[in-house]
Amino acid sequence: MMQRSEVGVNNSAVKRGWWLILLIIAFLIAPFVISKFYLTILCEALVMSLFAISFNLLFGYMGQLSFGQAAFYGLGGYVVAMLVTKLQFNFWLSLAAGTGMAGLVGLIVGYFCVRLRGIYFSILTLAFGQLIFVIIFKWHKFTGGDDGIQGVFPPEYLRSIEAYYYLIFFVCAISAFILWRIVNSPFGQTLKAMRENPERTEFLGIHIARYQLIAFVIAAAFAGLAGAVWVPFYRSVAPSYLTWIKSGEPVMAAILGGPSTFFGPVLGMFIMTFVHSYILGFTHFWPVIMGTIILIIIFVLPGGILEFAKVKITERREKANIAKGQT
Amino acid sequence: MSFDVLFNQFMSGIARAALLFLVASGLSLTFGVLRVLNFAHGSLYMLGAFITYTIWKTILIPVVGFYVATFLASLVMGGIGIIIEFFLLRRLYARGWPEQLLATYAIVLIITDIVKWGWGGEFLSIPRPIPFKGAVSLFGFPFPSYNFFVILLGLIVVIFLWWLVYKTRLGDIIRAAAHDREMVSALGIPIPWLFTWIFVLGSIIAGLSGAVTAPFGSIALGMDIEIIVECFAVVVIGGMGSLPGTLLGSLIVGLVYAFGIMFKPELALAFIFMVMAAVLIIRPWGIFGRPER
Repeated sequence: MMQRSEVGVNNSAVKRGWWLILLIIAFLIAPFVISKFYLTILCEALVMSLFAISFNLLFGYMGQLSFGQAAFYGLGGYVVAMLVTKLQFNFWLSLAAGTGMAGLVGLIVGYFCVRLRGIYFSILTLAFGQLIFVIIFKWHKFTGGDDGIQGVFPPEYLRSIEAYYYLIFFVCAISAFILWRIVNSPFGQTLKAMRENPERTEFLGIHIARYQLIAFVIAAAFAGLAGAVWVPFYRSVAPSYLTWIKSGEPVMAAILGGPSTFFGPVLGMFIMTFVHSYILGFTHFWPVIMGTIILIIIFVLPGGILEFAKVKITERREKANIAKGQT
Repeated sequence: MSFDVLFNQFMSGIARAALLFLVASGLSLTFGVLRVLNFAHGSLYMLGAFITYTIWKTILIPVVGFYVATFLASLVMGGIGIIIEFFLLRRLYARGWPEQLLATYAIVLIITDIVKWGWGGEFLSIPRPIPFKGAVSLFGFPFPSYNFFVILLGLIVVIFLWWLVYKTRLGDIIRAAAHDREMVSALGIPIPWLFTWIFVLGSIIAGLSGAVTAPFGSIALGMDIEIIVECFAVVVIGGMGSLPGTLLGSLIVGLVYAFGIMFKPELALAFIFMVMAAVLIIRPWGIFGRPER
């Protein structure tokens, strides 16, 4: 069984290879093909995808639903915004600081959260997320409160949309690659084992809380990186980046695309971002549409789009196999 | 700091605790029986407040107008509860809890937009009803007498829920269903029917608590998220699904907030979360909670 799945992974990795290369080429030539408007939306979709993948490390692989992931996303953004505007700090070091800060706060929050499972984990992450939001929202002198921080500029050579697009693309691609390696490493397998059967995993001598804490910190750091790289592009940051409405977006993207697959949340986020920009063209009532979409997915596509496609493909293959067997 | 100032702060903490209990008890009751954490409970509370305002404004009955509006709004919220349970939640009980959570989150988004569309973004308020218009003097400090009404209502709901859960046949069924759903069903008790009525009761309590906040502070968009996060702190501290836990949690959160605001207003909410973290280190399931099966 083990061996078969190993072979399966290798096979699909080879098959996946060529379309992944096509996809990378498509992303590289995108600035020459599409308009500035769509390039901006593409930037947002990429950043939000990284945010969604970081969330799905916890949800899809570890089996814990965090409803406070936006706090880390916003925290990364705030650190960059404050370092760049107040201290004229080096841009690249600011990105690193934003990531590190999100990871550090993730360590503190995670220490409490990994003690809990299921719905309790969700409530606690939500509560801590709102706590970080409230601190930033109310600490007007330090963070600018509900005004947020404006005028966060990247260095001269990254001012154009095209240049910054490439930065975002490389940051997201490299991060996705690292996360992909993480989930396919022994560490990632251990996370999955803990999701499937915590008792048995514990009997194997694995310290569940420690592993979950490591995963929590990694997820927080990458969410922080996503926020850190987004804010200089948008030139401003606001407390709304940390609210639970924002935390709900990766949850929705994962459920839309399929949390059991690595690229499911990415697909979900791309659909959501483009639908969002399209809908904003004629109405401001985005939340009601998002809510309706969520309900439709839950009722019509349980498991998400990629999972649905996977099931259909396997069904077809099995049918083909049966047909072959009969002849 | 003198005694009278502390006492005054203590009393406003109790009033806040009463309001928190009103909201959190509905949340905890629904979770205890249905095992569904209703993110939208705060939204039902907000919707209750706005509906109370509209009814109060429309009927314009002197003296008792507010009480009539509160009663009617609670009934309306009960009706909305039936719709949500019957058309949405009922179809999700067999699914995993993440999907249930996401469904209630979708209801949050939808209700937020309905309120934005129906009432706009302004702050609304209802004047305090007779006989709770003025303030009473507590050791020389003015204390709004309306707070006593909120505390009284909190006490009535505590006693009602205690009576319902521990003294009636329905209460026996509720506690049994919270413990072992299949067994109760096997004994011939219609579980779907029970779930609908529990959700309706939760919605009525949400509407009632929304109504009483109308003269307490102001009604505005965002009041749902503000209260639901504090309610999560309440149920995490006290233990999900436990009535005494919810009561104790409300008192702790209300009092910590009231004294925290005196000490350092910006960090009042942070103090609540520090207490919550401390409780979780000692008892991860909350003070009266039981470990998850």
